[in-house]
Amino acid sequence: MSLNATYDVIVAGAGHNGLTAAAYLARAGRKVLVVEKNDWIGGAAVSRSLHPGWTYSNCSYVCSLLRREIVRDLDLPKYGLQVIPYEGGATFTRDGDYFAYYSDHHALHREMARHSRRDADAYQRYAQAVMRQCRFIRPFLLRDAPDPASLRPRDLGEMAYLVKKAHGLGPRELGETLRFWTMSIGDFLDEHFENDLIKAHLAGSGIIGTGLGVYSPGTAYVLLHHYMGDIDGGIGAWGFARGGMGAISAAIGADFEAHGGTILKGAGVEKFLTKDGRVTGVALEDGKVFKAPVVASNMDVKRTFLTHVDAGDLPPEFTRAVERFKIRGSSAKLNIALDRMPSFPAAPAHASFLRGDLHVSQSLSELERAYDDWKAGRVSAKPYIDMLIPSQIDPTMAPTGAHMMTVFVQYAPYDLAQGSTRSGVNWDDAARRQLADCVLDQMSVACPDIRERIVHMEVRCPAEIEREVGLTEGNIFQGELTFDQLFFNRPVPGWSQYDSPIKGLYLCGSSAHPGGGVMGAPGANAARAILRADGVRMKGYAA
Amino acid sequence: MTRFDAIVIGAGVNGLVAAALLARRGKKVCLIEAARHAGGMAGLRPGEGPALAHLVHNLSPAVRRDLGLGRDWPFALTPLATVALAEDGRHVVVDGPNAKLADGTAHPFAAAHAALTERLTRYGALLRNMAETAPPGGGMSGIAMMRQGLRFARTGLSLRAMGKPEMRRFLQVLLSNAYDLILDEMSDGPLAGLWTADAVRGAALGPRSPGTVFSLIYRMGHGGIVSRPEGGMEAVIAALEEAGRKAGCTLRTDTRVARILTEGDRVTGVATEAGEILSAQVVLSSAAPLTTARLTGLDHFDIEATRRLRNLRARGTVAKVNLKLARAPALPGVDLASARMVFAPSAEYVETAFNPSKYGEMSEAPVIEAVMPDPGAASPWLSLLVQYAPADLDGGWTAAARDRLAQIATRTLARALPDLPGLVTSAEVMTPDQIGAATGGPGGHWHQAELTFDQMLTLRPGNGMGHYAFGPSGLYLCGAATHPGGDVMGLSGRNAALRALEDRA
Amino acid sequence: MSVMTDPKVGLIPGPVHDRLAALSRSQAWYGWAGYVAPSHLDSMEFEYFALRNQASLFDVSPMHKYRITGPGALAMLNRMVTRDVAKLRAGRVGYTLWCDEEGMVIDDGTLFRLGEDDWRLCCQEPMLDWLMEAAWGFDAKVTDESHDIAGLSLQGPCAFAILEAAGLDVGHLKPFDLAEIEPGLTVSRTGFTGDLGYELWTAWDAAPALWDRLWEAGRHHGLRAIGYDALNLARIEAGFLTAGVDFQPVLSVERLHRGLTPFELNLGHMVHFDKGHFNGRRALIRARNTPRSLLMRLDVEGFKPAPGALIYHRKKREIGHLSSGIWSPTAKCNIALAHVRMPYAAQRPANLWAEIYTLEEGRWATRMVRLTPVKGPFFAPPRAKATPPARL
Repeated sequence: MSLNATYDVIVAGAGHNGLTAAAYLARAGRKVLVVEKNDWIGGAAVSRSLHPGWTYSNCSYVCSLLRREIVRDLDLPKYGLQVIPYEGGATFTRDGDYFAYYSDHHALHREMARHSRRDADAYQRYAQAVMRQCRFIRPFLLRDAPDPASLRPRDLGEMAYLVKKAHGLGPRELGETLRFWTMSIGDFLDEHFENDLIKAHLAGSGIIGTGLGVYSPGTAYVLLHHYMGDIDGGIGAWGFARGGMGAISAAIGADFEAHGGTILKGAGVEKFLTKDGRVTGVALEDGKVFKAPVVASNMDVKRTFLTHVDAGDLPPEFTRAVERFKIRGSSAKLNIALDRMPSFPAAPAHASFLRGDLHVSQSLSELERAYDDWKAGRVSAKPYIDMLIPSQIDPTMAPTGAHMMTVFVQYAPYDLAQGSTRSGVNWDDAARRQLADCVLDQMSVACPDIRERIVHMEVRCPAEIEREVGLTEGNIFQGELTFDQLFFNRPVPGWSQYDSPIKGLYLCGSSAHPGGGVMGAPGANAARAILRADGVRMKGYAA
Repeated sequence: MTRFDAIVIGAGVNGLVAAALLARRGKKVCLIEAARHAGGMAGLRPGEGPALAHLVHNLSPAVRRDLGLGRDWPFALTPLATVALAEDGRHVVVDGPNAKLADGTAHPFAAAHAALTERLTRYGALLRNMAETAPPGGGMSGIAMMRQGLRFARTGLSLRAMGKPEMRRFLQVLLSNAYDLILDEMSDGPLAGLWTADAVRGAALGPRSPGTVFSLIYRMGHGGIVSRPEGGMEAVIAALEEAGRKAGCTLRTDTRVARILTEGDRVTGVATEAGEILSAQVVLSSAAPLTTARLTGLDHFDIEATRRLRNLRARGTVAKVNLKLARAPALPGVDLASARMVFAPSAEYVETAFNPSKYGEMSEAPVIEAVMPDPGAASPWLSLLVQYAPADLDGGWTAAARDRLAQIATRTLARALPDLPGLVTSAEVMTPDQIGAATGGPGGHWHQAELTFDQMLTLRPGNGMGHYAFGPSGLYLCGAATHPGGDVMGLSGRNAALRALEDRA
Repeated sequence: MSVMTDPKVGLIPGPVHDRLAALSRSQAWYGWAGYVAPSHLDSMEFEYFALRNQASLFDVSPMHKYRITGPGALAMLNRMVTRDVAKLRAGRVGYTLWCDEEGMVIDDGTLFRLGEDDWRLCCQEPMLDWLMEAAWGFDAKVTDESHDIAGLSLQGPCAFAILEAAGLDVGHLKPFDLAEIEPGLTVSRTGFTGDLGYELWTAWDAAPALWDRLWEAGRHHGLRAIGYDALNLARIEAGFLTAGVDFQPVLSVERLHRGLTPFELNLGHMVHFDKGHFNGRRALIRARNTPRSLLMRLDVEGFKPAPGALIYHRKKREIGHLSSGIWSPTAKCNIALAHVRMPYAAQRPANLWAEIYTLEEGRWATRMVRLTPVKGPFFAPPRAKATPPARL
């Protein structure tokens, strides 16, 4: 690989958003270098072989949010990306029953009616409300968040678009929208359903990845954040990327390279170089220096500005605002190689929901208590778990007959309490073992033989995710999804359009609007902003 | 049958204000109160001791103006300093923007405290502007709409006048949570505890709950100064009552409304439980929305409307505990006679106190606000607000549970006032369920409905009901469940009365 | 591992599925509220003509059925639906609509007054949640009977004769009357065909026996089991609406502003403003004189049915669409139900055109055909109303 030391744009971090930004820029004819600290690309969208024969999506694990505009613009299927929808899910009870979620409308109605006839009928109203919100929000994902304090034509234009969309809702729906955006998922579910198990099943999406509880205002939006994606137009559907989530990063990376881009692995950024308030390039940890008039950071906003930029280059109030930005670690993961399919005694024969997302949380108050544990710096005694066995559908993930299981855990604090200290340092082996034990106990509610099935297990606590992926505190969204950190407030007020006080230095990761998830939107939006600064209109559906 | 222009149901602060205002505008008004005295929740007393509301901080000057009470309230208001109690004796004395330690030394975060006070007061003034008018929309007359447009334009302009960075910061801070806002500026301790406790007082929320800065800013609408009305809450109520009487308003206490009468989707008056018919084209109810709907007949309301009213969240979390003391307690360096004490040693403490209330349990270590309404008395009352004591306590509020709450309160305060337990000669307890039962306020909640974003402005008390008009023509809500909410402010009653007048104009 | 299909997924058999399966030659099934239901059993045409000429038997059990009982049931229902059901006597059935707070139609259905305080509502959409919301605060109890009560619809000129042959005396039933003819068997003179017909209601488990009894009685009357396709044709002829086709039930649509008021469905006569408040009344008073579009019955020029076709004024301006359209073998015309925007609809315009696509043996073509507004149903035989009813 011959490396030229000068580029049009350098992207720091080969997460899916960094790669997306890079690919759009390369397609626009820019000479782009992506530098990545790890020896692999993908950030939190990776497929890792940590045990021979098995592939782990060891960070993000399911796909829905990836914008279809980006998939088309970057020709991702051409580079092998296949996303296969999965078939529902279930929550198992402690007394040997379950609530199953089916994508088949009638089966779902019958299953809900088994737990509550009224809830079965109420589900339509619930789904309608959520879908309406999805339809409302989706157009905003690939647009800039306007600065409400600005009178620039573009901000006024975006503001006018927002007002027009809101007005188009009509007074009643506008009211419902304002409610939905500000209420808790717990209250929202309580308004629709009577059955604890159904509520617990539906609530999970409202807390995944956040430092909020099911009764914290704003968590209904978090649910929406998990529902607003689609697979082939099926809004809210989730699926597996064939070959694991790394297939997404690999495809974007391949498109980038096919358009002349260069990816340099094992190249961690030490510092963003600046001169006279302008970015001039990056200095790597190994001392190498690459020059470019534009640098896009895929790192989160704290890491970018508090660690890799001289404080003197930033206005102090900007630094303060970045310091105030909340990125809280609240999730952990278990990735498990199984010798064969574990048994789910409660599930009937040929249950399709086993191919979906499985849970064991019994009620909203159990979930809320799990949050209280986290606030106090403890791993939840009864954490919310989201477990899937993608190898049932994807034959590439495990040896024939064996399986791979991904288990997402909410909540696990980054700053684990031990004695009187609360710190990421407290995540020692004993703590990690304790975490795994607690999660395996939870899992046993659904599959009692889980411990016997384990061939290999990777336990990833927040501190580890931070260390390896570079996400501050291991927060999967690069920043809390609370309303003071969304839209024009993301990441900080006045800087919601990917640029920064350092000219030429951009953010292209999930710290920026519209936030986290394997969505690609911040990357595409950042590329658009970078090109716009050059007076160039980006091409494609994401334009 | 007796004819009036307007009938107001419920003589709480908002009902009193609404009735007096209507009467001052020349309407023949009858104010009906089920209890023997006016005063509603603010004036509710658990026994011999002080009333539920023991301080005021948000009494609206707009109300005073509109009731023709002149430049000053006709009762003395003593501004109180606040003592943020500390277990280690390093109490913090807060007087507006000034914070210092009780021993007179500087508080390490005095500057941060002053800046916060200044900023939130400025924001509070903006919100106050919004509180003094009906929420936007709602089919008002052209002139009213213009007037309101101007008001919002003014709010927008004052927002702009702050300058871009401050305007942006406002739009962020408004949406955030008290815990983060405060701890971004100072390390955790009694001062942070005080801020966060004030943000959630009366709410079924903890400081980490998003949206709690909003209620904090609301509180700061008039600078956040807390005042003790001399003569107690009774003096405030008497003043409002007098304003109504002067304007010719009839007050009927001890009168229960059995039904709100209608004819062809119009209100025609009320029937009392005694069987009397009082007729009027306009009825304003400061009773809870669902109670009002039931009095009118649920068949007069749309199904969605009743669903929204049922979903209105109102879980009272504050209990009133009055402690009779052998003598006033003492704290070195602090004049407790003119101070409000708050026991909330840290923001973390406040959040932890909140936890059990979510599951129907009382806090074992609650947040407490304490004042002496009559410090000069030989054996004074110490008036406490104890949070969190949820209305829906598991197992119910039995006598034993109430006793336990009094003990917990005393024990908790003793962590900062060690001599307190020895001074207590008797205790009175009033829990949210009792407050609810006595006043009809759902869940015994101060605001009749939780003040959260999803129950605010046009969404208060429900989507499509945010403009005081309620169901049949001529019926209005004027209680704390409407915009902008309760807290001995009087604005709900005022705004509702103005709206009713406008509709009849 | 091989992927086995989940037995919990998919459609389940209705109460007389065995009988239908034995009769099905075409194996053409569709899903109705989660149940397997026949589109047709051998051919739609023959089934349709049996309905109009002899008699037809159709299983309506998948319909949603709710029982509303208690002293407050009347008040609760009157607050919910748009017509004044206080005027509906015990032993009568009424067609009715109900709206949301904005006056948009949630669904339509038939309301059976089984007794003074005893009602049954039959409708297409699941409604338990809404009914329970509506009943909150009223002294009324709502029970979901959808899977407890079966219904068989016997329609056509020989329907009465067949019931007589089955030993069921229903001669006294006028249209929209109902009576418990035998213990556990209620018969109403109702249907979705605009023809002489009865619906028989019994316990879910008793349905097969009832089916057999009717089947046996119909031997000499040409009774035929039919599927939905024939029924659909008959209901368009009668001018009846189908939820999800001719209007979108407003509680189940995801997209905004898809609701229609009763006035826009030409059902203003079902809205009784003088009965006191009912759901959506205040909105409907405002909307009464400002419909955005109107439902029209149209005769479509030519012979090609045109469901889904767009409607143009003067062949230029797009002003609506056909929601249902079919060739009527009885009226011998090409009929349609259509939504036409205002003000065009009110003007009863002569210059209306539909753009239709035709596929004739591999060749697609488009043409404009003239639309002629029609008053009243396309087919309304006197036998439908005669009491005592005719036997053939």
